[in-house]
Amino acid sequence: MKAAILTDVTKCIGCLECVAACKKTNKLDRDFPRSWHKNDGLSARNWTSIVEKPEQHYIRKQCRHCLEPACVSVCPVAALYKTKEGPVVYDPDKCMGCRYCMVACPYGIPRYDWDKPAAYVQKCHMCIDLIKQGKQPACIEACPTQATIFGDRDQLMAEAHRRIKDEPEKYINKVYGEFEVGGTSVLYVSDIDLEFLSYPLKPGTEPLPDTMKPAMEAVPPVFVGMGALMGGVYWICRRREKLQGEKEGNKE
Amino acid sequence: MDRARIFKSILWAITGLGSAALATRFLIGLGAIANMNDAVPWGLWKGFNIFPGIALAGGGFVMTAIIYIMAREEYHKYAKISVLLAFLGYLTAATALVTELGLPWLVWHPIIFWQHHSPLFEVSWCVMLYLTVLFLEFIPVPLEETSRFAKIRIFLTKYKIVLVFLGIMISTLHQSSLGSMWLITPEKLHPLWYTSLLPILFFLSAVAIGPIMLILAILVITRIYRRRTDSQTLSKLGLLSVFGVLVYGLVRLIDIGVKGKFAMIFDGSWQSTFFLVEISLMVVIPLVLMGVRRLRNSSGSLWVASLSAVIGLGFDRANIAGIMLSVDGPMYTPTLFEVLVSLAIISAAILAFLFGIERFKIWDTKWEDPREKPESHPDFDRSAEVWLGTPRLAGRSVYSLIFVVSLAVGFAIIPGKRIYSDGVQEVVSQKAYGGDTLCIDGNRDNYGVTFDHKAHVVRNSNDSSCVLCHHMNQPNDKQSGCYSCHRDMYQTTDAFRHDWHADPANANIGCMECHAIDQERLATTAKACDQCHKDLIPPGATITIEKYMAPSYTDAMHFLCIDCHRQKAEELTDKPDLALCTTCHRWKHPNHLQDEVAEKYNHPYFNHVVLPQKGSKEKGH
Ligand code: SF4
Ligand code: SF4
Ligand code: SF4
Repeated sequence: MKAAILTDVTKCIGCLECVAACKKTNKLDRDFPRSWHKNDGLSARNWTSIVEKPEQHYIRKQCRHCLEPACVSVCPVAALYKTKEGPVVYDPDKCMGCRYCMVACPYGIPRYDWDKPAAYVQKCHMCIDLIKQGKQPACIEACPTQATIFGDRDQLMAEAHRRIKDEPEKYINKVYGEFEVGGTSVLYVSDIDLEFLSYPLKPGTEPLPDTMKPAMEAVPPVFVGMGALMGGVYWICRRREKLQGEKEGNKE
Repeated sequence: MDRARIFKSILWAITGLGSAALATRFLIGLGAIANMNDAVPWGLWKGFNIFPGIALAGGGFVMTAIIYIMAREEYHKYAKISVLLAFLGYLTAATALVTELGLPWLVWHPIIFWQHHSPLFEVSWCVMLYLTVLFLEFIPVPLEETSRFAKIRIFLTKYKIVLVFLGIMISTLHQSSLGSMWLITPEKLHPLWYTSLLPILFFLSAVAIGPIMLILAILVITRIYRRRTDSQTLSKLGLLSVFGVLVYGLVRLIDIGVKGKFAMIFDGSWQSTFFLVEISLMVVIPLVLMGVRRLRNSSGSLWVASLSAVIGLGFDRANIAGIMLSVDGPMYTPTLFEVLVSLAIISAAILAFLFGIERFKIWDTKWEDPREKPESHPDFDRSAEVWLGTPRLAGRSVYSLIFVVSLAVGFAIIPGKRIYSDGVQEVVSQKAYGGDTLCIDGNRDNYGVTFDHKAHVVRNSNDSSCVLCHHMNQPNDKQSGCYSCHRDMYQTTDAFRHDWHADPANANIGCMECHAIDQERLATTAKACDQCHKDLIPPGATITIEKYMAPSYTDAMHFLCIDCHRQKAEELTDKPDLALCTTCHRWKHPNHLQDEVAEKYNHPYFNHVVLPQKGSKEKGH
């Protein structure tokens, strides 16, 4: 099973029960409005939030648990990793706080403890412990309208398409998270455009780690090649010097 | 007056100021001094110290390649200085990196936790290795001063070529990998900068402009110490580098052309202007000034060209590592303290560089000024008498004094409040206040739920009950001052009603009842609430709640009321469960509530409530 979450924007009433449940389950501290917060409600102490849009639209924001996560591919110490269950989780004992994951994430999800001398990255981990026990994530349990549901990614995908097919006039004909950046585990169906969840220059459907692959694969050959090249130049130059020296010797 | 000494005094002062900010960052956290935020996780230190620093320190490996591999003897006298420059350049970058890491004491983690597909993993390994290589390359120079480690020195000098090879190979890798780091951000980096060739461009520009940085450094120190410049060799080196600049410029422009982004350069946006500025600084000006023979031989144009190339390269890295990334949150402008830390790291490196030049045989000879230094004093800079006029104050003491004073000044100007202040978000105030019934329109869409205020008042023992809810705005509230919540009379969170207070105090002429005559009329300067409301806060009231304040009614409801209702719902099974959101919010647009409210509370006494206007907003179900 590949754990996934499907959020139906048309069903969310913005009650924030998921937010409260997440805070409680993950023992997240009280939050204060800070100068370093984005205005989407996520922060080091809010791993999920409700973004309000006009006309009574509430969009739950959380880590998308990408199938090929950019954050995992850039972390220099493998503090972020993709579990076999699907969630992308964080190991605070490895992290060194470089924040490259925050730079790389196409959805701007990971947040930081800016006010702590020992600062960690914070983001949703899809309640991996609960999932391993065979339970649902806390936010899913808490939702009173089943606007956000948990399950296997393929089944949820089928469900999403079924909903769109049943009420095509209600939904936008797109499952958000089906193809973007190679697919994500957190899916949305919606009656409004959710493009605002990612950056203005759209990342497309290519998994982001692929952008770096050619460069990173070239590393060993470049290393050896540069050594060989320099060796060649060295040899030529020395030889030329020697020949020149001999010539001058001959002249005398 | 002595240029070197003034220059060094300024550097010491900056180092002192910056060190104070640095100490604060380590004691309290990044947020205390930096403006980096969740949307801009990397700031000035990355864009100004680390990326440009490493690129400019690339001169080290290029020069060793030219000197030792291509055997260009004419540059041999610059070998030591370029290695020292590179070593200090990398040290500044490493220091800046440690400063901006969230867990700086774990900087060695990449050594044991491997992640070979991360460019940063590769960069950290390379930088660590290269620092070691540079150290080994440089260490024979200070060792010349003593005979103690002669064996090590001779060994290192003998196998120098191995170090040179290693240095070049490692540098090639990480100079380009610094470019690879940005390949992951196609959705953020401006298209004029984003290209799959980034690693190649980073490498080429470092190779081309690294030596130009060396030219600039030599020009600067010869000026500070009033030496003669060997401008002939320098301009030859300039010509060599300018070939590199040409290659870089061509690759970059052709890449942009091939990808069909040429029109973007001239589209007039600020990004295109930045691009043009960058290209002129980095490519065009050096090409002209160093490429044309007549110009190249004047030291003036060498100055301009090298300055321009160095600034241009820094600008390029800053653009990629920050300025050209799209931001979806608070804009980033570095704080004064970030700038100070940045400059302090660089100043300290320059001081170390000058120390090296004065102390060791970096050049043909040591660079102390014979006029001011008696033969018998081999020490570093002892005589400041010339410009201080007091023979007893030696240079060293002066610098320490400057450092300590500026350190103190630095600590004095750091605002202590930043990290602990909890700002209140401004919310537009909505009229929905006290009375028998409240219509709570949390999301302000003219559809509300009714709240039986009176019933709650009665249930909570009448008049003395207000504080049960209205003073729950603070965590662990214990006799806290009223103004700790009621900060602004126009905010939603504010239960303080100014007009209710003004009326009994004879309206406009009654201001002085609360506000002192000669002060600005603010909440903070007014009389404290408990001077009149003696029993406003019950003695010993201690309430812990989940949220520190209620920026909207949703929060108020969810963290104050719901808990109580949840209890009630468990006790009384015959009543609707008010703790369940869906009991009221059955649909997204609860028109049924609107009718209910209008029907039930449609009488003249119901005047405190702003009733939702029926049909004022066309909504579908
Ligand atoms: S949304 Fe961002 S943080 Fe979450 S898995 Fe994807 S890249 Fe990582
Ligand atoms: S901040 Fe931590 S988790 Fe994020 S990339 Fe750096 S080391 Fe990895
Ligand atoms: S899955 Fe768990 S961690 Fe993630 S938002 Fe839901 S409750 Fe929070």
